[in-house]
Amino acid sequence: MTTKLSRRDFLKVSTLLGGLTLAPDLPGWMPRMAFAPAGVEPAGDILVTVFQRGAMDGLNAVIPHGESNYYDLRKTLAIPEPKPGDDQTGIDLDGFFSLHPSLRPLKDLWDDQALAIVHAVGSPDPTHSHFDAMDYMERGTPGEKKITTGWIGRHLQTAPWQNDSPFRAIGMGGIMQASLRGPVPVATLRSIADFHLQGRPEDLERLRRNLASLYSAGSALDAEAVETFSAVDLLSSIDVSTYAPEGGAAYPDTEFGLALQQVAQIVKAEIGMEVACVDIGGWDTHNQQGVLTGTMPALLDELATGLAAFYHDLGERAERVTLVTMSEFGRRAYENGSGGTDHGHGNLMFVLGGNVNGGKVYGEWPGLAEEQLYGPGDLAVTTDFRDVLAEIVQKRLANPNLEEVFPNYPAWKNLGVVVDGG
Amino acid sequence: MTAKITRRDFLKTSGLLAAGMALAACRPQVETEMAAPVGPSPPQTPWPTTVPADEALLAHTLRRISWGPTPEMFERARSLGLDAYIEEQLHPETLDDSEVESLLDNFETLTMTPGERDELEKRAQPIQELIGATLLRQWRSPRQLYEVVVDFWSNHFNIFIGKNQCRVLKTDDDLDVIRPNALGKFADLLSASAHSPAMLVYLDQASSGKRAPNENYARELMELHTISVDGGYSHDDIIEVARAFTGWSVAGRRDVLRKAGSFLFRRQMHDDGEKRVMDLAIPAGGGEEDGQMILDYLGHHEMTARFISTKLARRFVADEPPASLVAKLSQTFTESGGDTREMLRVLLRSDEFRNSAGQKVKRPLEFFISALRVTNARIGSRSRALVDYLRQLGQVPFFWSPPTGYPDTADWWMTTSGLLGRWNFGLLLAAGMIRGAEVDLESLTADAASPRDVVDVLSIRFLGEKLPDDARDILIDFASQGDLGDNLAGVAGLIMGSPHFQVR
Repeated sequence: MTTKLSRRDFLKVSTLLGGLTLAPDLPGWMPRMAFAPAGVEPAGDILVTVFQRGAMDGLNAVIPHGESNYYDLRKTLAIPEPKPGDDQTGIDLDGFFSLHPSLRPLKDLWDDQALAIVHAVGSPDPTHSHFDAMDYMERGTPGEKKITTGWIGRHLQTAPWQNDSPFRAIGMGGIMQASLRGPVPVATLRSIADFHLQGRPEDLERLRRNLASLYSAGSALDAEAVETFSAVDLLSSIDVSTYAPEGGAAYPDTEFGLALQQVAQIVKAEIGMEVACVDIGGWDTHNQQGVLTGTMPALLDELATGLAAFYHDLGERAERVTLVTMSEFGRRAYENGSGGTDHGHGNLMFVLGGNVNGGKVYGEWPGLAEEQLYGPGDLAVTTDFRDVLAEIVQKRLANPNLEEVFPNYPAWKNLGVVVDGG
Repeated sequence: MTAKITRRDFLKTSGLLAAGMALAACRPQVETEMAAPVGPSPPQTPWPTTVPADEALLAHTLRRISWGPTPEMFERARSLGLDAYIEEQLHPETLDDSEVESLLDNFETLTMTPGERDELEKRAQPIQELIGATLLRQWRSPRQLYEVVVDFWSNHFNIFIGKNQCRVLKTDDDLDVIRPNALGKFADLLSASAHSPAMLVYLDQASSGKRAPNENYARELMELHTISVDGGYSHDDIIEVARAFTGWSVAGRRDVLRKAGSFLFRRQMHDDGEKRVMDLAIPAGGGEEDGQMILDYLGHHEMTARFISTKLARRFVADEPPASLVAKLSQTFTESGGDTREMLRVLLRSDEFRNSAGQKVKRPLEFFISALRVTNARIGSRSRALVDYLRQLGQVPFFWSPPTGYPDTADWWMTTSGLLGRWNFGLLLAAGMIRGAEVDLESLTADAASPRDVVDVLSIRFLGEKLPDDARDILIDFASQGDLGDNLAGVAGLIMGSPHFQVR
């Protein structure tokens, strides 16, 4: 196999192999090269998005401890000001902002300059509805309900290269994220281990052979079946059970942790993945959200442990991966009467990867004084979330067609969060 | 259907049917997908068949007007004749639905008020029970065509049950808006929908007042509910419609005039100036009547006739509906005052319908319910896994978040993950490997002694007719290897996984 296989050739090969899996001794040519015709293979990073469903309380995740208003608004929920040597206080980042102590695993990445934070970021739309806000953010079109595709879907659609991998876009969790909507097919994946033909184990080989025959009689679904078999084969080359994360990485033993670990495995397997979407839910903390322990600190710990494990596990591959987090909106600046926070506006985004201009908090801080708050008492938005995403799409994903990825948003602001890949 | 589930089994079932939904309910973004213009074209011609023409037409018709034809349906249709059978299905009130109704007694939230639903400790219970009731009816009700049409309108007037208070309001929309009007006049259904608290919340109408009218409902009313995007309206028309509907709202806990969760016209929020919508002039001072005038106008508009006809034809005939049929249905709409029953009568007797066998691919919900129906599955007490498959396949009722409703074309659904999911569901169901769903293949094939008989009996049962020769030979060969009894699950699973079972 000295030359590149075309997509068609590849399909033929996998059909001929029939019931066999694409053998592990087929080397690393496999995916990216097999799927992308010469000269037009994906030019940019692999994108990973983490959506924090429910609206994270950004003010208690990355705390503006330099602003006294914070302590007035959060009488019982405030995270104590950083005190060196005291792990029950915030972790100072730059003298003004500090990390919640449960985000400690992120401090290494920050020191490595692999992690950037954008604060007071969000959607210009004022909605406090989870549903609408998520929808706007995932479609990348705040206030606009006409456009049915997602921003990642449009990125894949308009990227100046081809890639026919069935795993070009992956929605982790079994249900497709709205950001992925568009004409490019998306594989939804609960777990790599489950993406195979199931049935009575002793019959599987026969069942597969016969299914393949049933889909070789000229039905309009035949092509899809061939595609499905090749996708199954491709994933079967990834051994989940013996996977040992590298770099001392330890993923949290949760759905989120497992999802990130599998994304790392797929990155390493080089099966042509360009984007993966991962969710972590539970952030809608109206009641007793906890200060140093409790609901929200546990979630922060899960998030930080997962992100750090992912970064360490990727090792040098992190140079070609950019991960970005988002949440539909932030939470009210002042705490409510039940130890929680209500729906707000501005929030924060983490940007992680080998080519991130990390170690810095980006964005203009709007302040928490009464007249500086937005609407019913929310952190204002000074950076549109599309600024962060557009910069990643252009500089790291190498797609210049931003007017199509973010329609009606021509003048995005260049924050300099990531290195321009050229 | 002869499958027996005891009432006790069912009680457990319904709770668990429901339980699978709880997770989804916490994640309102789930299942938000839109049609994508890619993928293979739907089958253009059916596979060659040797079945006599009238039998083939019978099977084709029953596949289209049901959630999966059963032997009982075939028997009834043969004894009445196809036309009379269709007529019977068009009059669901004449069909005894008491078994389903008595099982539905177990869903207490169906008879609660929105306020009572809202006070339940288990917040997801109203969602779970409405979905459970819907699946139960599709699965077991003898009113099969009615359930197909209810699903059609539920998607046409889509409401995402995960948005805000739709959680406690959608039940009333289903029971009081969609179901009573499903086979009636379109304008009545439209008006009922416009007064439906769930719809008013879902499309942000409930909070729309004269100072800053919300245009969401106004836009979708024209684009998705009536005259369609090609309807010839401008953005100014949308603004005028939005003004006309200001004040159409939902009573809250503090409202004394109406019960919480019922329709309430808030006069003080209404813009009482005059409006003009396309060629309809609305004089000043009309109050609540403004909206009704628009509904009457749009509900009888010729572009509405065309749009509804197109969608019905897409549902029952082909992804790309024949223009001749759309024209015929539009005319029926106009002449009958938008009578859905009359349109279906014309549609189901049309040549376009009769010649469309094999042209519709089942959507996941149709695949899922039909598999349960044709296998005569017994649903046991632990059915969470079963419903989880439906969630993975991606079509849980009322869980489509955009106002378009679930896509009705094959290109959207035929994906690698989607096809693999169907194969696995069929193979696992047949092998008895889905917890909570039991299939008795021995009794389904009791009279079949040879591999050939087994294949024929199961394909007639699952597809309504024998498989074409090439597929039949493949399965006979499969069934001939080793013990026939051991191969029953394989044959059944392969038929459900075959391209033939993916079409309806």
